Amino acid sequence: MNIAFWIISAVAVLGAVLAVTLRNLVHCVLALILFFIGIAAHYFLLHADFLGTVQILIYVGAVAILILFAIMLTHNVTGTDGPRELLGLKWWSGAAIAAMLAVVLTRAIQGDKLAAALPAGDRAQSSVAEIGKALVGGWVVPLEAIAVLLTAALIGAVVIALEEIRKSR
Amino acid sequence: MNIPLGHYLILAAILFAIGLAGALTRKNAIIVLMGIEVMFNSAILNLVAFWHYKHFAVPTAQLFAMFSIGIAAAESAIGLALVIAVYRHYKSVDVDEMRALKG
Amino acid sequence: METLYPLLHATFANLPDWAVRVAAFLIPIAFIFAVYPAIFALTTLVERKALGRIQNRYGPNRVGIFGILQPLADGLKILVKEDIVPRVADKFTHFLAPVLIVVPGLLVYLVVPIAPGLVAVDLKIGVLFALAVGTMSVIALFMAGWASRNKFSLLGAVRAVAQVVSYEVPTVMAGVAVIMAAGSLSTLTIVERQSGGVLNISNWYVFRPWGLVGFVLFVIGGLAESARCPFDLPEAESELIGGYHTEYSGFKFALFQMGEYLAGMAMAGVTVTLFLGGYLGPGSGTGLIGRLIAMLWFFGKLAGMIALNIWIRGTWPRLRVDQLMGFAWKILLPLALVNIVAVGFWHFLTPRPVAWMVTTVWLVVWVVVLTKCNASAHLEKREYRYV
Repeated sequence: MNIAFWIISAVAVLGAVLAVTLRNLVHCVLALILFFIGIAAHYFLLHADFLGTVQILIYVGAVAILILFAIMLTHNVTGTDGPRELLGLKWWSGAAIAAMLAVVLTRAIQGDKLAAALPAGDRAQSSVAEIGKALVGGWVVPLEAIAVLLTAALIGAVVIALEEIRKSR
Repeated sequence: MNIPLGHYLILAAILFAIGLAGALTRKNAIIVLMGIEVMFNSAILNLVAFWHYKHFAVPTAQLFAMFSIGIAAAESAIGLALVIAVYRHYKSVDVDEMRALKG
Repeated sequence: METLYPLLHATFANLPDWAVRVAAFLIPIAFIFAVYPAIFALTTLVERKALGRIQNRYGPNRVGIFGILQPLADGLKILVKEDIVPRVADKFTHFLAPVLIVVPGLLVYLVVPIAPGLVAVDLKIGVLFALAVGTMSVIALFMAGWASRNKFSLLGAVRAVAQVVSYEVPTVMAGVAVIMAAGSLSTLTIVERQSGGVLNISNWYVFRPWGLVGFVLFVIGGLAESARCPFDLPEAESELIGGYHTEYSGFKFALFQMGEYLAGMAMAGVTVTLFLGGYLGPGSGTGLIGRLIAMLWFFGKLAGMIALNIWIRGTWPRLRVDQLMGFAWKILLPLALVNIVAVGFWHFLTPRPVAWMVTTVWLVVWVVVLTKCNASAHLEKREYRYV
C-alpha cells in the first residue's frame, strides 16, 4: 500500500507543477484538475471518503469550470497566448523564495518528534452519519455562517462582474 | 500502509511551495489564482493528514476541511469576478499592468 | 464483488489467492464493458425505429430484418471515416475531450446494483460517488467546445456547461430526499430498504408522495444532464450546426454519441435504483434463480426508463435557453427543497395516514404555487411587422 502513496503523490506534484508552469491557459486548468483528483485520491487513502467525494464535487465540478469560464471571458476567444515570461529575475526570485520555504518547512518537519507518528489504519473510519450529526449538532453555527458567506459571495460575484455592463449603457 | 505522518507534511509543504512559486512568478492573474487554489488544497491536505494520524475519533477535522473547501470556492469565485471586472477596464489580465494604486 | 469473491474462492479453491481476487475484481468490470455498450448499440437502433414510428415513417429497415444489423453498419462506417482535426485546433485538448466524455458515463455503472449483492463496488458513499462522477463530464464538454476554435462550438459548449451545472442542483437534491428516507448513501442499502410490501412492489419510493415528485425531478434532471431532448440545445442542428461536436468526425464523433447515450443510460440506471426499487420485483430473491429474476427485473426497468426517454425525445419540442435556465432555477430547485421538507414530515409524523395526507397536501400546494408564480403573463396579440 505504500506504493499507492508515492504514485498518488507523484500525480499530485506533477499536476501542481504543470498547473503553474504551462504556457497555454487551458492546459494549465487541465493540470490543475489532475492535481485536484490527486488530492481527492489522497483523501480516499486517508479514509476520509466523504471529504474526497466533496473535493471532486466542488473543485473538479465547480471551481475548475469557474476558472475555465473566467479564461474564456478574459481572453481572446481563439486562445492565443502572449509571449511567455522568460527566465528573468522575477522567475528566479519567485522560485528561490518558494524553494527556501520548502526547505525550511521540511527541516522543521523532520526535526519534530510528532512527525514520526504511524498511520491509524482502519481505526480511522469516517461515517457520513456522524459527520451529519456533528454538522447539525454541535457545529450548526459554522454551518449557517458558511451558508451566509456563500450567499454573500454569490451576490457579490454577480454584482462585481455585472457592474460594467450597467455603467456602459 | 506505514507512511509516517512526516511524509504527508512534507508533501503538503512541497505542494504549498509550488503553489507559492506559481502565485509569485506568473503574470497572468488567473494563474495566480490557480496557485492560490493549490496552496489552499495543500493546507487542507495537511489538516486531513493530522486527522487520520492523531484525532480520528471525532469527525471535527473533516468538518473543518469541508468549511475550508467551501470558503476557498467562495474566494475563488470572488477573485475571478474581480479579474473579469478588471479585464473590462484594463483590457488585459496582466498583473504587472495593474499599477494604478502605486505611488 | 463481495458475493463474487467467496463464490469464486469456493469453486476454484486450487488457484492462488491473488488470482481469485483479481478475477473477482475483473469479472464485474468485464460485465460492465460488455453489457452496457451492447445496450447502447441496441438503444441507437431502437431509438431510430421508435422515433421513425412516432414521426409516421419506418426507421432503418434495410440492413437486416427490421434493421437489426444497423448498429453494426453504423459502427463500421464510423470507423473507416477520415479523422479530420482542424489545423488551428488545440491538438491535445481536441484529442482528450471525447475520451473524457465516455469515462464518467462508465464510472457510474460501478455503483448500480443489478441483483441482490451483485454490485461492482459496494461503496459506503455510492450515490454521492455516482453524482460526483457525473459532474466530471462537464469539463469534457467545455474542452470539446474550446479546442475546436470555432465560435459555434464554443457557444454550444457554454450552453451545455450552463445547462448541466444548473440541472445538477435539483437532481442532487431529489437524490438527497431518497437518501434521507433510506438513511444510507450506499445503493445496495437503498434498494434493500425498498423491499417488502405487496409483491415487492408497493414499497418502491416512487409510490410515495415525495418519491413521485423526486422521481419526476430526477428524470428531468437526468435528461438535462445528458443533453437529451427536450434539453438538447447544445447540439441542436438547426441552431448551432453541431454545437460542441461540430469539428469532430469519425471515431471521435462516435465516442461523443457513446458518451452521451451512456450518461443517459447511467442516469436511468441510478433513477431505477433510487426510485423504482432497483432489482426488486415479485420473485427476486437471493438464490441463483432469484438473482436471475432480479437481473431480469432490473434490465426490464432500465429498458422502460430508456423507452420513456425515447418517447419524450420524440414528442416534446426543444426548450429555449432562457426557458431552460428559468425552469431549473425557478421551478425545479424550490420544488426539490420543498421535497426535502416533505421527507422530513413523512419521517416524523407517526400515524401513517396522517403522514400521507400532510405530505401530499404540502407537495400539491407548493406545485400549484410554483407553477402559478412562474406562469408567463398572458400572451399579447402578436404584431406582425411586414404584413
